[in-house]
Amino acid sequence: MDIKITEELDNLLKDNGIKKEEIQEIIDNAESNGSKLEAIDGDLCIAKGCTDNLTMYAVYSPSELVDVYAHKMSILGLTGGELHDVEYDDSSDWKCVKCDEIALERNVDMTYMGVTRPGPGLVCPKCNEFYVSDGVAKTLKTAESILEEKRA
Amino acid sequence: METIKNITSLCPECLAKIEGSKYVEDGKVYIMKKCPDHGVFITLVSNDADHYNLMEECFDVDRAGAKSSLTDVERGCPFDCGLCPSHKQDTCLAVVEVTDRCNMKCTYCFANSSMDDSLDPDMDTIRKMFETVKKCQNDPTCIQISGGEPTLRNDLPEIIKMGKDIGIDHIELNTNGIRISKDQDYFDKITSAGIDAVYLGFDGVSDDIYKQRTGRELLEVKKEVIKRCERAGIGVVLVPLVAKDYNLHEVGKIIDFAAERVPAVRGVHFQPVFYSGRSPSERENKVTILDLLEAIEEQTDGQLKVSNFTPSLMPHAHCGATCLTLIDNGGFLPLTNVSLGAVKSASDVASKTKKSIMGRWKGLEKEKESKPSCGDLLVKSSCCEKPLSDITVKGSCCEKPVTDVLPKSKPDMSGWADFIEMSKNNYLTISTMAFQDVWSYEQDRAENCCIHVVTRDGRFIPFCNYNMTSCNGDFLYRDAA
Repeated sequence: MDIKITEELDNLLKDNGIKKEEIQEIIDNAESNGSKLEAIDGDLCIAKGCTDNLTMYAVYSPSELVDVYAHKMSILGLTGGELHDVEYDDSSDWKCVKCDEIALERNVDMTYMGVTRPGPGLVCPKCNEFYVSDGVAKTLKTAESILEEKRA
Repeated sequence: METIKNITSLCPECLAKIEGSKYVEDGKVYIMKKCPDHGVFITLVSNDADHYNLMEECFDVDRAGAKSSLTDVERGCPFDCGLCPSHKQDTCLAVVEVTDRCNMKCTYCFANSSMDDSLDPDMDTIRKMFETVKKCQNDPTCIQISGGEPTLRNDLPEIIKMGKDIGIDHIELNTNGIRISKDQDYFDKITSAGIDAVYLGFDGVSDDIYKQRTGRELLEVKKEVIKRCERAGIGVVLVPLVAKDYNLHEVGKIIDFAAERVPAVRGVHFQPVFYSGRSPSERENKVTILDLLEAIEEQTDGQLKVSNFTPSLMPHAHCGATCLTLIDNGGFLPLTNVSLGAVKSASDVASKTKKSIMGRWKGLEKEKESKPSCGDLLVKSSCCEKPLSDITVKGSCCEKPVTDVLPKSKPDMSGWADFIEMSKNNYLTISTMAFQDVWSYEQDRAENCCIHVVTRDGRFIPFCNYNMTSCNGDFLYRDAA
């Protein structure tokens, strides 16, 4: 699928240090193997791709790229380990396409430069793939700069 | 016995320049040196050669020389200080002693003291000292007003104001706090004159400690000073002298005390006892950096580990170790760790240290005022150089929010969002500094020193050289200067 990238999104890609080809590849992979989240009541999808030190996300509609964001932290896994039942409604508005399961809003442990903290993630209960939203990614980005500043 | 390197040092008896070596024996690091007239001297440097080596591996700084040298090379280091052209490092902090007088009679002090106010430098002399700083130190200029006890001078507000008028960017005050705790009027004048931070002698959290060294109960005095500084928006750094049979058992409590008072208290700067100046002749109370870090680990129940302390951005891996920690609901969340490898410095060590002194150690209110001098320094080019409070989440109004549709029921957002909040205000710098005495002296460290005492005749002398004293009490520089 050849996706349209507006000038605004192109700038956002540059801000995040992501190449157009990289984001295209992430989307192509997601489209071919179904490793993506799809909005339950819409046509938006979230696909994810990782390099050694960056996790990138593409949010896109069938016609165009809607959002991109990234974090340097690594996601270690669910906070507390196993996926236990919770008492509140933790179902999200997103579905894992590959597993046809509603993704759950759960805390995941993320680690960067020696500090590990929980943060909200979207987790497929079947394949255990983790995603974060752009809002959370902004928080993570700030935390990353703080940790980097500490080392400087 | 394995030799690490050959060193040039000084004879503890006669202060002559002598040769020696640093070596490892039974896993410990020692300095051995030999004076033709006074024999062999052996000093323990570290109880753990592995830790010693690790600190060296984690240390990687660029340096820049001073803007101008003031003396020539004649007899060689450390006898030509001023600085001489062979000194390798610009000043990060210039110490300006405005009096030798002191209102305490500590059993131990690296400085001299007398009660004769006719010996105080006059305003013209101090002006020259400030001007020397402007001339030799690369911008921004950063000084500590010290003594003696500077607050014994009634004209201290005028001195501070003169420094600011001359264009010194950061002025911190080294004090025992006694006058500040009693004389609000005087303190108001100091703050209006433009003091940026208070460097408060603070040896413990119990009066037993203060009585041992000073014969007085001072804990309430210290608490009052911190309160007054907090109200005035002046950052406080607690400065404990640490010795074995004195307060080594209280270092954890000192850190807890500081953590409870963050952000008014910005840091704790531990200074293990060193045998220069008015000092006991026996050395059993000596504490190495590693002894201190191990005590901190034990007394904070392992929350702050030895491995959380990385070499300070000082001129030498063994001049000190620093840990930066967030205060997380009364506990500690250290941000530094030796396992993260060498700290790569983008700029030279003096400007880094100045940034640290000016940014982390000054008062919060002052930061908010965004004074041009310090503000400019901190917000230079990259986001990494901004003060913490300036790193904010990028405005999202123009970005398409996926967040609109999530989350419905809120998972705990506290983890990293809290982390950011804590980083703005709730952090504490815990540093240790191993000053050199005549026993531990390595010329290599002195040549790279960035803390310089300004003499009344307008020279810069590396702090450890300035206070260097033979075991007979003779100063290398202090008396002559």
